[in-house]
Amino acid sequence: MLHSEKRSLFRFLAIYLSSTFLLFLLATFIFYNFQKHHIIDTQEQELKIQAKEISQTLRQLNETFSKPLLYPNKAPFKSAIYNLDKAYIFGSFRPHKIQWEKEYYQEKSKLFHIHSIYPYYLGASYLVVSKPLNQKPIEQLIKLSLLFLLIAGTIFTLLGLFLGKLFIAPMKESIHNMNKFIEDTTHELNTPISTILTNIELLDTIYDCEGKQEMRRIEIASKTLSRLYEDLTYLKLNHNYHREIIVLNISELILERIEYFNTLIEAKKILLKCSIEKDTTLNIDKNDAIRMVDNLISNAIKYNKKEGELSVILTNQELTIQDTGVGIKAENIQIIQSRFKRDNQNEGGFGIGLDIVGQVVKRYNFNFKIISKINKGTKVVITW
Amino acid sequence: MVKKFLLLVLISPLFSETSLEKNCLSCHIKEKIPSELIYRRYLTRYSTHRAIKSTLLSYLKNPKKRDSIMPKQFFLKFPEKKFVDLNSSLLEKNIDDYIDYFDLKKQLKLSK
Repeated sequence: MLHSEKRSLFRFLAIYLSSTFLLFLLATFIFYNFQKHHIIDTQEQELKIQAKEISQTLRQLNETFSKPLLYPNKAPFKSAIYNLDKAYIFGSFRPHKIQWEKEYYQEKSKLFHIHSIYPYYLGASYLVVSKPLNQKPIEQLIKLSLLFLLIAGTIFTLLGLFLGKLFIAPMKESIHNMNKFIEDTTHELNTPISTILTNIELLDTIYDCEGKQEMRRIEIASKTLSRLYEDLTYLKLNHNYHREIIVLNISELILERIEYFNTLIEAKKILLKCSIEKDTTLNIDKNDAIRMVDNLISNAIKYNKKEGELSVILTNQELTIQDTGVGIKAENIQIIQSRFKRDNQNEGGFGIGLDIVGQVVKRYNFNFKIISKINKGTKVVITW
Repeated sequence: MVKKFLLLVLISPLFSETSLEKNCLSCHIKEKIPSELIYRRYLTRYSTHRAIKSTLLSYLKNPKKRDSIMPKQFFLKFPEKKFVDLNSSLLEKNIDDYIDYFDLKKQLKLSK
């Protein structure tokens, strides 16, 4: 799966799953609260029934004159009677503080019910009944809610993956078609470009023909095409390409590539300043190194001013390529490192150069820094 | 002599009549008027010591059948209360003693 496909799938899944999860969370919360209230209501009804039973007993006791008067005491219920002034009369418990304004209330893990009595049997105007809140049904409800969330979450994640794949299928197909087109085109371009370049070299070596200027232009155009072919092939085969990591003499490679670009440098009358530390080596695949160096030099030529300067500095630690060109807007420095993104639309290209450089840098854990000022130039530093 | 005097002082409360017994209960017992039933009736209607006392006080100062909280049938069986000339503070004390005497808190016990 390509990076852009993964990103699209993750974005879709993030939006879909977060919204679904929020919806389920809300629904579960409402369901939990509703059921919890129902459980507590049921337990409050038990208190009410008990209060009525105690009231009946109080009525009977009120009519009894034999002593002692036995006050009802039935576990797990506790009760107490209070007179009209809310003063304690008697009971199986004596609550610390009573919320007289409420008919039912919960304090810590106990449920309370205040039952009014009239006539005031035994002088009792209020009967306070209490029982410990039965937590078991609530705990079961929590387990059920969590299980529901887990099952729904799993089902909707799987559904999301299925829908996500459906969602990115057209994009995947387009990318596949585009890649196929590039592959076919580059394949068809390879042979004629190679033929042109070989024959130009041959003509230059064997014949001292007229029209040297025209020949150079053909060479520049062919090399540009050749590089484009190499870049596109690199991008296309990047994932499947077998890399051969070798101890590469990067100093020699850079000099070779400068020589390759010499025609372009001369054509633009650019002053080349080289400071290459000899025999600097890097553990890298040769093709990766060529693509990285080529794209940096090519950009420095392409976006340089006519008769500008190009500096290539190589040390043991870093490679610096600096031009005196048009520069890049500060806000675009990050954007141009993405594929098909360009800051300057005046020059040709597909905007794949810095993407390739970025990929190589990332693969080998190098550091990549672009420093640029508009109309002053750009400096690219790669540190390893 | 001193010994006899001390013994008399010690046992005299056992034989002495309280104000409540003298002014109220003696007549109730004699006439077989159910004092506790009357108390329960007041308790069922007024709930608090303060409210019972206030109602009883007002009734005893001017006892009339129409002001009584007892049912009509009660007066078929028992005589109507007659006015007793007692000063206010003594009457209040008697009422307090009456309420305390029949106070249900003393009679209530928690069943096992």
